[in-house]
Order: sequence, then structure tokens, then C-alpha cells
Amino acid sequence: MSAVAAAPRARRWPRVRPGVVPAVLPTVFVLVAFLLPLAGLLVLSLRPTDAFNFALPGFSLRQYREVLTTPYLYRSLLESLSLAVRVSVTCLVLAYPVAWYLARAAHGWRKTLVFTVTLSPLLASEVVRSFGWRIVMAGEGPVNRTLQALGLTDASLPLLRSPWTVFLAVVHVLLPFAVIALTASLGAIDDAVLRASADLGASAAQTFRRVVLPLSAPGLVAGAVIVFSLTMGIYVTPLLVGGANQPLAGLRVQSEAMVTFNQPRAAALSFVLLLVTLVVCAVVTAVGRLAERGTRG
Amino acid sequence: MADRSRTHRRTAGRVAAAVPVALVCAFLLLPLVVVVVSSFAAQNSFRFPPEGFSLRWYGEVLGNPAWVSSLAVSARLLLVVVPVVVLLGTLGGYAVGAGDFRGRRALSLLFVSPIMVPSVMLGLALLHQLQVAGLVGSAVGLVLAHVVVTFPFCVRVVAVSAAALDARLVRAAQDLGASPLRAFLTVTVPLLRPGIVAGAFLAAVISLGEVAVSVFVSGARTVTVPVRVYSAVQVQMEPSVAAISTLMLVAAVAVIAVLDRTLRISRFL
Repeated sequence: MSAVAAAPRARRWPRVRPGVVPAVLPTVFVLVAFLLPLAGLLVLSLRPTDAFNFALPGFSLRQYREVLTTPYLYRSLLESLSLAVRVSVTCLVLAYPVAWYLARAAHGWRKTLVFTVTLSPLLASEVVRSFGWRIVMAGEGPVNRTLQALGLTDASLPLLRSPWTVFLAVVHVLLPFAVIALTASLGAIDDAVLRASADLGASAAQTFRRVVLPLSAPGLVAGAVIVFSLTMGIYVTPLLVGGANQPLAGLRVQSEAMVTFNQPRAAALSFVLLLVTLVVCAVVTAVGRLAERGTRG
Repeated sequence: MADRSRTHRRTAGRVAAAVPVALVCAFLLLPLVVVVVSSFAAQNSFRFPPEGFSLRWYGEVLGNPAWVSSLAVSARLLLVVVPVVVLLGTLGGYAVGAGDFRGRRALSLLFVSPIMVPSVMLGLALLHQLQVAGLVGSAVGLVLAHVVVTFPFCVRVVAVSAAALDARLVRAAQDLGASPLRAFLTVTVPLLRPGIVAGAFLAAVISLGEVAVSVFVSGARTVTVPVRVYSAVQVQMEPSVAAISTLMLVAAVAVIAVLDRTLRISRFL
């Protein structure tokens, strides 16, 4: 009886928190514009191909076999993995002091300046930043001119062909993501915890190592995950700065698809790349959780 | 005395902390400054420091039909992409930020998942789908690509606003006789406004600079500014590329500086 009476009442009081209705349109969009194309790409990667690399009907694991056995392709995955690890570590180290400042400093013009400078590379196009590194490292660019002025070298160095230039440019492109992730996490640390640590006699270094660093673990993990996964797939910056011969997986996907027109192979390589990326990110997240639990326990 | 030494130490600490921040900022600015400086070069070279000063490269860009058409493509694209993303992102961000239904977490993961997929893969997947649908080179592909790329960012900032929403205000509106739709439009949307505005600006700035996915789906007549820069840099280095880059840079920096002063978007990131 009471259940019957409650039903119309509940209808007169519509829910205040939204149900699933507003999510319908965005969900349909993501399914159609994102998941459907990805599924199509997966099917393409599993097709046999003819002599001109066009997909034929049927099923074949040939592309995956070739990705895993052709040095030109699997070495690019290892190379990307190595670059992604180096870039992630470098970005986190460089981002830490900036994020600390942004999370702790009082609001004012100086903070706005640092904030703008930090985010402006993220918001300037990747092509603009890569173009900038081309100029910086050019034969008569600022780096070479400075080295010559200091008498460290006579002829201009071929800096653009160095893998370190690509490394620097990629760090530059992705550093803002690390700053954002770390700022959120450092801003969440309570001032009282830091004061307590100092009052109990800890030096600044001790407070950093035993209080701040463990508490910023979520930000370190989030920053590592985003920088790592973006580095794994990056191709525009290495292509524009170092040229098409950079042995990176993202670039190999792009050249298989747009230069040699072997779309099925590009598809297979991109799925292996995605899988490796997701596995590493899952491991990093799990290790971060364990470390967090360890410091709490 | 003890107090004084403590203040001294704190000042010293502050200066020591400022050095790495300044160095990182310098590193971040270096390539951008170099682009801006060389856009004013008098000669067709990237010698540093450049000799002379001129605005000829800006004149060259604005007098070149290819660059002008790209500027028009980028601007038109923006006018389509931003409203679409704001609509989808507001609905999606509201649902996953404030919603009360099963599968909310899974849905919020689905909404941000385009970020986790390498853009080279996203571009290839969209290109393949457009080939299947016979739409290669049309504006449809470009619009879809830009909405997919910007949507996760918009959803995230709106969701942050939605999570902070005070449900009692919505209940009050409904108690006073507003229909759920009316309560949504007159109470919820204004409360979500900071998130929606930040999401719109983020979408605009990302769309303006997007290149990695666009390269795959842009056709001969739908070349955005960054895609044309991408091609130009590979063929020949010219200060006119620096000029158009500077124009894009100025737009982005202005947007973000104004945004932080007025909305403190640093809170949302």
C-alpha cells in the first residue's frame, strides 16, 4: 500500500542529480566518431593484402607477424619505448619546481606570468614549437652561434641530425602536461602537514623526501602516464625536427600509411604500439598505488 | 634572533627555488621567442641574431592566397567545432560530473579515452573510415577529427564544475515549479558556466593548433593553418612560416592570459 502511494510522489519529485539522459548524445558521438573508426582499423589490421598492399577480404595475422619480426618495425617500438621513458623522467624532474611554485605561490602577476609561460607552448601548435627548435638548432641558429662565439667550435655542428635535439623538442612539447598533473597534486597537500613536519624538527630536505614526495605520488603517476603515452605516439615533432628517418613507432605508422600506402601494416603497428603503451601505463599506475599504500601503512 | 635566521633561510630558500622555475620558463620560451624574432628578419635566412627589421614576411603571408585560404579554413572550422564540442562536452561533463546512475565511472573513462589513443592512430582510423564512407577530403572528416580531439578536454573541465554543483539549488528551482529542462537551462547551466567557458576556450585553442590528426583527414581544399605549416616546414624554411606562427602564437597567449585573469582556470587543470 505504502509502495503504491510512494510511486506517484516520486514522480512529482523529479531527480535532482542527472540520470543517464544527458549522456546519450555524447556517448553516441564517441561511439560513432571514435570507437567505430578504431574497430574498423582493427578489422583492417587483420586483413590479408594483395601485391599493392590493398586489403582483401578474409582474416590474416600476417601484418602482426611482420611488425614483430621486421627489425625496421619492431626496433621502432623499442626506440619509442626508450625515448618515452627518458622523456617522462626528464619532464617530471623539470616540472616539479614549477608545479610547486604554481601550487604554492600567492595569486599575482608573477604567478600569472609563470602560468602563461608554462602553458603557452601547450597552446601554441606543435608545428610552431617544432619549427622553433629547427631555428634554434639550425647551422646559423642561436646555439651554433653561441658555441662559435665562445670558441668551443669552429664549424657549425649538425645539431638537427642529433637524436638529442629530437629528445629536447619532445620534452619541450610535453612538459606542460607534467606541470598540470603535478600542480593539481601538490596543491592538494595541506599546509599544516608541512608545518607539522618542520615543527617536529625535519629539515627542508627531509620534509621534501619523506612528506612532499610521497604525497605527490598521484601527480607523479598521472604526469608519467600522460607524458609517456603521448611520447609513444608522437610523430609530428620528430618528423619536423629530426626528419623522416627518426626510428620512432609513431613516425613509422605515419610513413607506412601516408608514404608507402600500406594501411593494414600501419594499422597493425599502431595497435601493437597502443597495447605496449597501455600495458606500461597500467604497470606505472599499479606501482604508484603500491607505493602510496606503502607510505600510508 | 632565531626568528631572523629563520626568515633569512626562508628568503634564501625562495631564491634557490626561483632559479629552477626561471630556467624551465626560459627553456619553454626559447623556441617560441626565436620564432617571433625571426619573423621580423629582413633577409630570407635564419641567421641569429637576424640582421635588420622588416614586416615583409607578414605582408607575404597576408598576400598569399594559400595562407589566406588556410586562415579562412581554420576560422570556419573553429566556428563549427567549438559550438558542437560545447554542446557535447556540457552534456557529457554534466552527466559524469554530477550524475547518479550505474556505469558513471565507465562512461567518464569512455569520454576521456580519445586522449589515450596516439593521434597518429586516431588519424589513420578516421582516414580509413572516411575512405569507407567515401568522404575523403571533405570538411566532415576535419570537423569529426577536431571534435574527437577536443571533446575529452571539454568534458573534463565541465565535469569539475558539475561535481561542485549544489544540488539544493536545482531542487529549489523544481520546488518553485520549474520543469527539469527549465531548471537545467536556468539554474544548472549558469552554475556550470565557468567550466563551460574554460572548455570552450580549451577546445578553441587546441583546435587552432591541431595538426597530428588533421594531416590524415585534410583534403586539398581543407588545409588548416597548422597543416600548411607542417607541409611548408618540410619543404623549405622561410621566415613567412615564422610570421604565420607568430600570429597563431599571439592569439593563443592572449586567450590563455585573459582566461587565467578572469576565470582562474589554473584551478581547473
